[in-house]
Order: sequence, then structure tokens, then C-alpha cells
Amino acid sequence: MSQRLRTLLLSVLACALALAAGTACAQPLEYAVKAAFLTKFPAFVSWPAGAMRPGDPLRICVVGDNPFGGALELSARGRSVDDHPLEIRQLPLVDRGSGCQVIYAAGSARQSATEALQAVRGEPVLTVTDAAEGSARGMIHFVLFGERVRFHIDTAQAVQGGLAMNSKLLALALSVKR
Amino acid sequence: MNDPTQRFDLRPLGIALVSAIALLAAGSLLATRAEVEYRRQAEQQAQVQADILAASVSAALAFDDRPTIREYVDALRANPDIGAAAVYDTAGRPLVTYARKGAPPPPGHLPHLRDHATDGMMQVTSPVAERDTRMGAVYVRTLPEPFSRILGRHSGLGLLLIMSFVLLGVTSRAAAQLQRRARQLTDINARLQVEMVERAKAEEALRQSQKMESLGQLTGGVAHDFNNLLTVIMGGLETIGRHLTKLPANAENARLHRARDMAMHGAERAATLTARLLAFSRRQPLQPQAIDANKLVNGLSELLQRTLGETVTLQIVLGAGLWRTHADPGQLENALLNLGVNARDAMDGGGKLTIETANTALDPAYVDQLPESIAAGQYVLIAVTDTGAGMDSDTIERAFEPFFTTKDVGKGTGLGLSQVYGFVRQSGGIVRIYSELGQGTTVKIYLPRFFGDDEEAVAPRITDPAMMLGDETVLLVEDHDELRAYSGGILRELGYKVHEAADGAQALELLARTPGVVLLFTDVVLPGGMNGRQLADRAREMRPELKVLFTTGYTRNAIVHNGMLDPGVQLITKPFSFDDLAVKLRRVLDDT
Repeated sequence: MSQRLRTLLLSVLACALALAAGTACAQPLEYAVKAAFLTKFPAFVSWPAGAMRPGDPLRICVVGDNPFGGALELSARGRSVDDHPLEIRQLPLVDRGSGCQVIYAAGSARQSATEALQAVRGEPVLTVTDAAEGSARGMIHFVLFGERVRFHIDTAQAVQGGLAMNSKLLALALSVKR
Repeated sequence: MNDPTQRFDLRPLGIALVSAIALLAAGSLLATRAEVEYRRQAEQQAQVQADILAASVSAALAFDDRPTIREYVDALRANPDIGAAAVYDTAGRPLVTYARKGAPPPPGHLPHLRDHATDGMMQVTSPVAERDTRMGAVYVRTLPEPFSRILGRHSGLGLLLIMSFVLLGVTSRAAAQLQRRARQLTDINARLQVEMVERAKAEEALRQSQKMESLGQLTGGVAHDFNNLLTVIMGGLETIGRHLTKLPANAENARLHRARDMAMHGAERAATLTARLLAFSRRQPLQPQAIDANKLVNGLSELLQRTLGETVTLQIVLGAGLWRTHADPGQLENALLNLGVNARDAMDGGGKLTIETANTALDPAYVDQLPESIAAGQYVLIAVTDTGAGMDSDTIERAFEPFFTTKDVGKGTGLGLSQVYGFVRQSGGIVRIYSELGQGTTVKIYLPRFFGDDEEAVAPRITDPAMMLGDETVLLVEDHDELRAYSGGILRELGYKVHEAADGAQALELLARTPGVVLLFTDVVLPGGMNGRQLADRAREMRPELKVLFTTGYTRNAIVHNGMLDPGVQLITKPFSFDDLAVKLRRVLDDT
């Protein structure tokens, strides 16, 4: 059992204890799942050639407020997609030169989620938004569905950015916007 | 033909056995290979199945979409071979499991499989990964293969094997049968060959004996007629001679006397020839008696040595304790002389003649292979061996035939060995010739051992002319007119009263009319359906005290059985001389 999973399990356990204590703990579990999802999306997405040099890290950037705590780093530790090790970045704002392949646009006072999306529109950047953070919708949009974390997919945006979504990923989406 | 290697041949059996073992081995190998191949394929199939599942569930596993995972896993239900399947997360915990009814559930934790096949089941795992990102693993286990399917899978090969065995069995059986038949055929063939050889030998022996028999009949018939004629001729010459002695002695009468003597000499020689012919035809009347061959050979040695001449050494080797035999001593002497003459002629530049006697026994096996029929038992052997030119096998084969001779024309009559053969056969023995060209010849005479008592010695010859006369009444029966006249002349000249008849009926009539007849002198062969023997029997019924003297040159039929005189039968053989008949008549008449 990897260290990352153990940590995740521990947080889940903590959440269960919190639930028993009657406090709100949905957040850590939900975000732990979302963090896990975020680190797994790149495996189902293809970036255009030239988006990354061989051996370059694949950067997952959390733009604005970070709701994950350390869960994202935990989940990304040791992972890589092809020869690109996952790297987690936290950015207050994003632009075309940020060097991110994935952004989680939670939005902040300095740059709203919509603005962040706008900033990388047409760029080969997988944009992920969260219904829990705002109404802005990136290529992948987290929602809670029946107590479970699910997502919608907008392939039109992905095509604009030159990204290709694995059909298996599409099959899991609650909806696919083409 | 009876090759020992042709005994039961085990090779086909061995070949069949080896074939069966090879077939079984090949079948097992094929079945094992097929089974291994099948397992490999089954494992591959299971692996493919697992790989497909792994690929399908990667996203669902990554994003923890259990219903979707369940859908994918449940899709495996459609495959009846899948017994159980499970999807594990990266920690190896089962997320979704499936087990067919009755099949054991999948393991509670992702197993590390070393052997994919257990208890006929195939279990495989496949990692779930996407672009190097490991999501978990899937596990697939097939159901154990039903026995019926294993059976079905191997039934083709099994059937082939069974058919092959059946075929092998049938063919080796057929081969064995064929072999047996061939062996039987060989045996039968061998038997047939032996039988053919034996048959050929038997046919050859039969042919030979038939030839000898027909030659015997031919020569016997001729000799018989000759004997009658010679009797008349010699009788005439004797009468002439007796009258000549009464004529005055002058040159003319002396010339007549010489002429008569020469004619008589010729007739006597002719009589000797006919006697030999009769001897060969086994129709000569024999006067057999118990004889000691050693004594006979000893007595003959002087005459033999004279016959052989100075260049030939005579050696006589007499067997000790020699058995007696029963034969006509005169004829045996004749036979030995004939052999001596032949030996002398064969030893042109001199040599040695050996006469041996010995007791011997002819066993049944030896007797069976002889062409002549002869009883096995004890025999007296008289062997005459020369160191002469010898004979080839063709000559040996024909040696006994009458008139067959290798001597120059005029030197031999071709009747010497015929006499030996006829005499020995008639005496119940056999004669064999052993000879090699250049090595000399041995003639072996086997005469049967005689067990009876010695017979009375032959009465001494009557030499006093006065004692040969008589005055009794004699009934002469002879169909040959001249011969009857000749015999009647002698009888009358001797003083007898003679009544003559030409056949049996006439003789009986005469006998009834004539009371004083004391002697019946009859030929054995008579015309009119009654032979001399029958005539004698009828006459004896009328006159029990009547004495009978038979005459014949041809003794086969009535009074002589197998050429030997019946006991008590008196016989004078043709041709007979005046003196012969006179002496014989007196002996018969004076015998009480």
C-alpha cells in the first residue's frame, strides 16, 4: 500500500470519525476524491505534440484557492503519465505562459475561474472546474451526483485547446458536450 | 523342404507389438501436446478476456465508477467458461466481484499467480493501467472444463487410436493366419513331394516287376513248347543211337554215330537253354531240399576253380554256424557257376573271386524298399564278389532280363543271371547286385532260413540196365501226339504194357475198362478242361492204390505250387531221356 493511499485512507477515516462527531467533514473526503481524479485525468487525455518536451513534468496547477489541502500532492506523488512525472503547482492566477497542462480553476479574488479559463482558452491546457466552487465550466466540470463525485465533459473546449479525450473517460461522464 | 527356420515365425507378432506400443506412445504424445496446446490457448483466452476487462474498466476504476465496473464485469456472464472475475483497486482490494453459481468466489485479495492452471481451472490477472498510470487489476478464472468436453476434445484422436488398434489387430491376425496357411502349404507340399518320390519309386518297381513277369511268361511259354519239341528230338536221337549200336561197325556207321552224337549234343545244349528260360520264368520244376550252403560251396570249389581259370584266384569265406536253407541244390550250383562265369568274363586280366556265406536278417524297413515282395526275417547269404570291370546303374537294372548281355555275340546267352534271378525268387529269396564301374561286382543271394527236418537223401542212381525194365501196365496220357508216341515207345521198349490217351476223359474211360493199370503217367497240362492233377485225383478215386507220375516242362498250374513239388508228388521234367524215364518209373513203381 502506497504512502499516498494510506494518507488518503487516513483522511477518509478522519472524515468518518468527524461524521460520527456530527461535524461537517464532507469536504475533505470529497476533495480527496477530486484530488485523486485530478491526478488520473491526464492518463485519459492526449496533449498535442509539442505541448511537452520528453521528460518534462506534467503540471497540474491549482489556480486560486486550494481546497485540497495536501491531498493533491499526496495523490500525485510518484505518479507519471508516459514519461511525464506529475507535478502540482499552486498559482494565484494563470496565463498562457504559466506552463500548466492541467488547471483546476477554483477561482479567487485575483482571478475568477472564468477569467482563468479565458486566460488559457485555445491553449493545450486541460481545464477543470468544480460546481462546488462556481458556475464556470471548463473541459471537465466536477459535480456531486448522488453523494458521489462525477463530472461533465465539454469536448468542444478540448478540441479548441487541441486536446483529445479518451472515450473511456467520456463514457464515465455524466454528460458530454460536443 | 523342411527348413527348420520355417517354424513358427514370431516376427509379425513382434512387429504388431512394437507398432501397438509406438501407436500408443504417439497417441499419448499427440494427446498431451493437444492438451498442452489447448491449455495454453485456454489460458491465452482467459488472459485476453482479462486484458479486455482490464482495458474496459480502466477509466471506471480510475474514477471509482462502480456501477460501470459492475456492468463490465457482468458482461462476462455471457461467457459460460468464466467461473469468477473480480476487479481490484491499486491496493489489491476487490471492488467488484463476480462468481458463477456453484463456482468459488474470487480471492479476497489480488493473488500473485505463479501457476495459472489449478484443478482444471485457468486463473489469470491483468493489471489495469492507462498511460503508465496503474489503476488496479482484474482477475478472471475459468470454470473447470467438463469431462464430457475433454472427452469430446480427445475423442477424435481416441477413435483414431482405437481404429488403428483394431486395424493392427486385424492385420496381424490376418498375417498370422497367412503365415499358418503358408506353413501348412509348405508341409503339404513337402508331403506331396515325398509321396511323389515314393510313388515314382513304387511305379518304377511295379514296372520292373511287370516287365520281369511278362518276360517270364513269354520265355516260359516259348520254353515249354521247346521242351516238348526237344523231348521228341532227343527221344528220336536216342532211338537212332540204340539202333545204331546194333549195326555192324564200319566207317559209314561210325559217321552216322558221330552225326547222331553231335545232334544229341546240340539238343542237350538246347535243353539247357530252355531249362534256364524256365528257371527265369520261375516255372522250372524244383527239387528243393534242406541244404547246407557251406557244404555246397565247398563241393563246388574245384569245378569253380577250373571254370575260372588260372588267372583268377578263388577265395572262399564260409560263415560259422551257417543256417540251413531250402532250395534245389542243382539249381543253386548252377546259379553259382553262372555267377562264376560272369565274374571270370568281367576279370579280363585276372583277379579274385570271393564267395562268402553268412547268416543275416532282413529287417522290415529294408524289405519294404525292395521292388520284389519278400518277407522280413532270417536269411542265408551267399555273396559272390569279383574284382572285375563292374557295371553302371543302367546295366545293373537290366542285368536280370533274359537275353540281356554285355558280352560279344556268341559268347553269352544273356540267360545266366536270369537263371539266378528266377531260381532265387522261386526259392523264396532275393538277389541283389552291388557294383561300381571299375570297382568290381558283388552279387548277394539271400535264401530263406530253413527250420524243418532233413529230408531223406536222394536214392542212389540205378545203373544196372536190367533193373530198369518192367512189365506193369501203364496208362500214358499226353496230348502231344509225337511226344506220346515217343514216351509210349520208351515204355514198350522197357517192357511195360502201355495204354495211351490224349486227354483226361479218354484216360478215365480207359482206366475204367482196363483193370490191370498200376501207374498213371500223365502230362500236367491237358486239353479238354481237366488237367493232370485233376485227372490223377479222379483216377485215385477209382483206384486208390494207383501210382501217379507227372511230367511237364511247365509246372505252374496243377501239381506244383510255387514251383515246388507237393509232398508225395512224383514228377519227371521234360525233356527227359530214355534213362531218366526208366529210372524214374522204377522208383515210382517200387516205392511202397
